[in-house]
Amino acid sequence: MNYEKNRIMITLEVKLPDTPGSLVELIKPISKNGGNIYGILHYHDKKINDLIPVNITFELSEDIKEISLQNISKELRKNNIQIENITYGIEKKEIIVLLTGHVFDTDVLDTIKRLASKEINISELNAKFTELKEVSNVKLKIEFPENMTKKELINELRNICKEKQLFLITG
Amino acid sequence: MRVKICLIGKGTVGTSFLKLVNIKKEEFEQKFNLEIIVTSIFEHDGALIKENGINLKEVLDAETNFRNLPYWKKNVSAKELIPTLNANICIETTPTNSKTGEPGLSHIIEALNHNMDVVSSNKGPFYIEYEKIINLAEKNGCFVKYEATVASCVPSLGIKENLIGNEILSIKAILNGTSNFILSRMTAEGVNFSLALKEAQELGYAESDPTLDIEGFDAAGKIVILANDILGWSKSIHDVKIEGISKITPHAIDLVKSDGFVIKHLAIAEDNELVVEPRLIDKHSPLNIAGTLNVIELETKYAGSIILMGRGAGGLEAASALLNDLLSIAKQRKFLR
Repeated sequence: MNYEKNRIMITLEVKLPDTPGSLVELIKPISKNGGNIYGILHYHDKKINDLIPVNITFELSEDIKEISLQNISKELRKNNIQIENITYGIEKKEIIVLLTGHVFDTDVLDTIKRLASKEINISELNAKFTELKEVSNVKLKIEFPENMTKKELINELRNICKEKQLFLITG
Repeated sequence: MRVKICLIGKGTVGTSFLKLVNIKKEEFEQKFNLEIIVTSIFEHDGALIKENGINLKEVLDAETNFRNLPYWKKNVSAKELIPTLNANICIETTPTNSKTGEPGLSHIIEALNHNMDVVSSNKGPFYIEYEKIINLAEKNGCFVKYEATVASCVPSLGIKENLIGNEILSIKAILNGTSNFILSRMTAEGVNFSLALKEAQELGYAESDPTLDIEGFDAAGKIVILANDILGWSKSIHDVKIEGISKITPHAIDLVKSDGFVIKHLAIAEDNELVVEPRLIDKHSPLNIAGTLNVIELETKYAGSIILMGRGAGGLEAASALLNDLLSIAKQRKFLR
């Protein structure tokens, strides 16, 4: 696992038989091969010959994209599901950082909003406390735009942490 | 051939060096026709001096009572006597003053000024006045070697010669066994920083004042030497951005565990910047070593990463690095058969 991950959104257009269990046969190979499923759209109104067009959107880590897609295609073929089209979405970068200090007392919402104003989004926040007055430890999963370097992102974080006297650990 | 040695500092490393020379001297005589003669051993309050060679067994047997030997000269200093010594190589093993590099810096300068080659385990002079020492050695046609200053006997500086056809781009390393031991204990047992430090002190891995280790200054000095020596930079310890490990909590370690990360105190030389700070690394990374070990990852242009790992501290470990450097100089001076 790398500290910094480029993630890519992928949409597969397939045709599924209108029978119970067919959706599972579509989902299983994707999640088994590292896909994080974001959404599934069924086009029942476009059903032809008992086959329903389905679009499934999922995220894959850039480093395993090629091999995962190969495996997914192979397994779907085995399940008699043909991929009609593949669309690649915008690449996102993701990193994990740790903040130690009075993360909440120093207005965590302000921290999140300030980052969001620069298109830096917190996709996950996990915290551990002991007591209210004690320092907290917060893990942030951060998505940042393709045109921003890791160094630029970390500089943004450092500036906020310096101002709020938070201890930042990056990768 | 004979090589006359002046040893400055008879602490753990200096004494281990004498032990090792005593063990290896016959082997070196037979193998290389090299006779290592120690003619002076300096301490802060005097010196053992014997022009035709000190009996090392006698000094080692005397243990801490070496000042009772008849050739002990009270209140003489190395700096004062270096000009009068007829030695080929000065071995510098005094403790480091992290702010000034003294007294080692003066000893090294004085030795080089009197055309003595220098071998050092004392890193202070090198992370404070690297360029000055190297330039002076070059000007006077002397060799100066300091493998023991970084990761002890792990050939972190010597590796440069083996990678001469490649190019080293950056360095990531764990260079302080004490802070690595503390973080390893916190990770493995979930104990807090104070408890892990106390344990390190009880086991003799941490000093009673552990500041230099846990606040990153020791590792900072070593990454300066590594960067200057193997990347060809010209930095001093003042150029290093340093952050210690005392703010790390078991909760912080626990939070990143589920994502496959551990927290390590890394020394990094990359993009012309020197940093010592806690970083998240993949638990499967070769840098994820436990206990008091040191590890150095060299990123090379043509062969990816190269890892060196081993015990980064200890008397005999450092002494063996000193002896390697001594033999390397003897070879370059064509003292070996």
